[in-house]
Amino acid sequence: MSPGGSTDGRVVAITGACTFLGTELIRRLEEDRRYRRILALDVRQPPSIAASPSGSGNGAPQGAGGKTQFVKIDLTQPTIDAEIATLLDREQVDTVVHGAFLSHPTHATEWAHELEDVGTMHVLNACASSQPRRLVMVSTTLVYGAYPQNPNFLTEDAELRGHRDSRFVNDKVRAEKQAARFAREHPDTEVAVLRFAPILGPTVSNMFTRFFSRPVVPTMMGHDPLMQFVHEQDAAWALKLAVDSTATGPFNIVGKGVLPYTTVLAMMGRVPVPMPYLVARQLAKALWAMQVFDSSPGLLDFLLYLCVGDGARARDLLGFAPRLGIKRTIQDFIGVAPDDGATDVARAQG
Amino acid sequence: MSKILGDNPFDDDEPTAVKKAPASEDDAAADASPDGDAGDAADGFDGDGDEWSASSVPDAVRWPAGHDMPIDVDDDVFLGEEAVVPPGEYGRTHGSTIHEFPEAEMRELERRVDAQRTPAFPLDMRNRVGMGFLWKRWRQLAMLGRSDVVDDFGRDPRATARWEPVLDFLYSKWFRVETAGLEHIPATGPALLVGNHAGTLPYDSAMLVHAVRRDHPARRDVRPLVEDAVFHLPWLGPLINRIGGVRACPENAERLLSRDELIAVFPEGTKGMGKLWRDRYRLQRFGRGGFVKLALRTGAPLIPVAIVGAEEATPMVAKVTWFAKSVGIPWIPVTPTFPWLGPVGLLPLPAKWMIQVGEPFDLGVHDPDAANDRLLVGRLAEAVRARIQDMVDEVRGRRKSPIG
Repeated sequence: MSPGGSTDGRVVAITGACTFLGTELIRRLEEDRRYRRILALDVRQPPSIAASPSGSGNGAPQGAGGKTQFVKIDLTQPTIDAEIATLLDREQVDTVVHGAFLSHPTHATEWAHELEDVGTMHVLNACASSQPRRLVMVSTTLVYGAYPQNPNFLTEDAELRGHRDSRFVNDKVRAEKQAARFAREHPDTEVAVLRFAPILGPTVSNMFTRFFSRPVVPTMMGHDPLMQFVHEQDAAWALKLAVDSTATGPFNIVGKGVLPYTTVLAMMGRVPVPMPYLVARQLAKALWAMQVFDSSPGLLDFLLYLCVGDGARARDLLGFAPRLGIKRTIQDFIGVAPDDGATDVARAQG
Repeated sequence: MSKILGDNPFDDDEPTAVKKAPASEDDAAADASPDGDAGDAADGFDGDGDEWSASSVPDAVRWPAGHDMPIDVDDDVFLGEEAVVPPGEYGRTHGSTIHEFPEAEMRELERRVDAQRTPAFPLDMRNRVGMGFLWKRWRQLAMLGRSDVVDDFGRDPRATARWEPVLDFLYSKWFRVETAGLEHIPATGPALLVGNHAGTLPYDSAMLVHAVRRDHPARRDVRPLVEDAVFHLPWLGPLINRIGGVRACPENAERLLSRDELIAVFPEGTKGMGKLWRDRYRLQRFGRGGFVKLALRTGAPLIPVAIVGAEEATPMVAKVTWFAKSVGIPWIPVTPTFPWLGPVGLLPLPAKWMIQVGEPFDLGVHDPDAANDRLLVGRLAEAVRARIQDMVDEVRGRRKSPIG
């Protein structure tokens, strides 16, 4: 908690600096005096620090702050691990945040595999060589997979089953398994993995926000699983907490409360189109193959069975308690002002 | 409907305060713009110029100035907040606001563009045609009969209330349930009701839940644990979940007990439901004793319950398995009514029901570690089964006739 202190402050390197969480984290770290330098690693310059050299107007400090430096790093390059290791050593980076993951399935599955699975290997190789004090990795609760056997709340020690035919999810599972092995083999580095529930919010863009932005949304006939979201600001706050903290291990970063899928759609005013699972699956497969539809068909399972994480570990060890309930998160996402002051969770419990 | 970055058809309250001065470039671009958007051009204040800012970038400025956000904002800056201009400022700051909040504004716009959260033409119809009222009405209609808050396990209070009369009709009129021994259920604290299971559909757990809610002095809510075969049935599964059912698994049971809930388990599971008419009231193997382990670990009292009547309500004379597996259910029941009358045949016959709640088992003599002693667990499970079998036989003897 001591700003300054004996050390000059921490140095953080962030891969995937252009992602939503990356930019939000940079913004928060810029405002925190405990952090001396931030290295933004990505293939392109994050917009927030692009403005820094030619600050228009009076050149406000935030966002464009002097702490952040952009370094072009492409994790799909074969020898990038050595490059990152050199960078980490030279800049004396003590915390690595690995957030270079796709927020949306892509048809370029080979490239996605190189970026997420192999890219994680590169980052971990670099960390193994330069031994930073802390490594924080971004993941999602999708890695648990939606299965009929799931309990209502999945704790962090649940098996990471991924999904049988979603490479989008399975690449993340593989990245997580690598991180777990790295944590075992390098006990000197604190490894924390944040599994984010689907992030919703007015500014974030990911597969969920795109999915729920459509006016017409499929539902699986006769199925109505409980859904869980985390607000984008809560998610960014949790990531900052994880960088600050010394806690290790996986953490579910989830919002307060759950809602049935159809209720979520009703609150958003989307038109549900019930489809038999088998039909929807074939349709999604066809549309995916034709590159019309941008969600891989395997993800339909998340409309069938629930995949809800338990946030107790993050609450106890990271001190992260989500500030927005699921109802407010949805309202914020669709842009409706809250109807009353009472939080939905308070009413659910009272 | 006068936000700079597009209007929001879902806005319940007219955002009177949100008069956001347009960027000065807008004025220049106004002439070049190809179309006037119905919504924004109408209020004649700004924004009709740039198609991109007016219609296709929705919802960026979210918080009308009148609304204080009811959450504590300590270190987080919500962009919308700082981008809102107080109403009086509108005239004076026209064209200059952008310089007051350059970062927030630009960051927001860049994000929107990067993210391509801008639906393509047919999809942004809602923003183009001023049919906000229609979508608002649609949302109201869609929320009918469901509440916007469910508890952690998915029980919807409004749906529960809606189905309550149906259950009560079944309970008091159709089955004429006689319940005895409810005083054995504690008024507070966790407890495990262990019952025998029968019937093609879990009417027995519904009746047990209703009995406790209706006749127990504390009106306690029972959370029945529902086996997978039923919980994942299309339509029925979600319905059961909305009115309080929870998927049966040790994690869920333990979580419920740790919240001092009263849960009902039917250890026979699908084996109990799959009994044929000739095996009626003959209790099947009690699972693998998971409920005993649960009671030992959590120290929750284990209360046996005998339910008589479910067998006659849906007498299953045969079950078809060869076709059912491919549909995803363990079997298709054949009752005197079921496949022949269609879905109507799934309605239960008006048998006479009796529910007897027995004295709690005293498991306090065992310490929680005993849950790992498999032989002990097996013995206790068998003891509970035998007790419930005795209770069932006793209650059947008391009941005058199955149609009573």
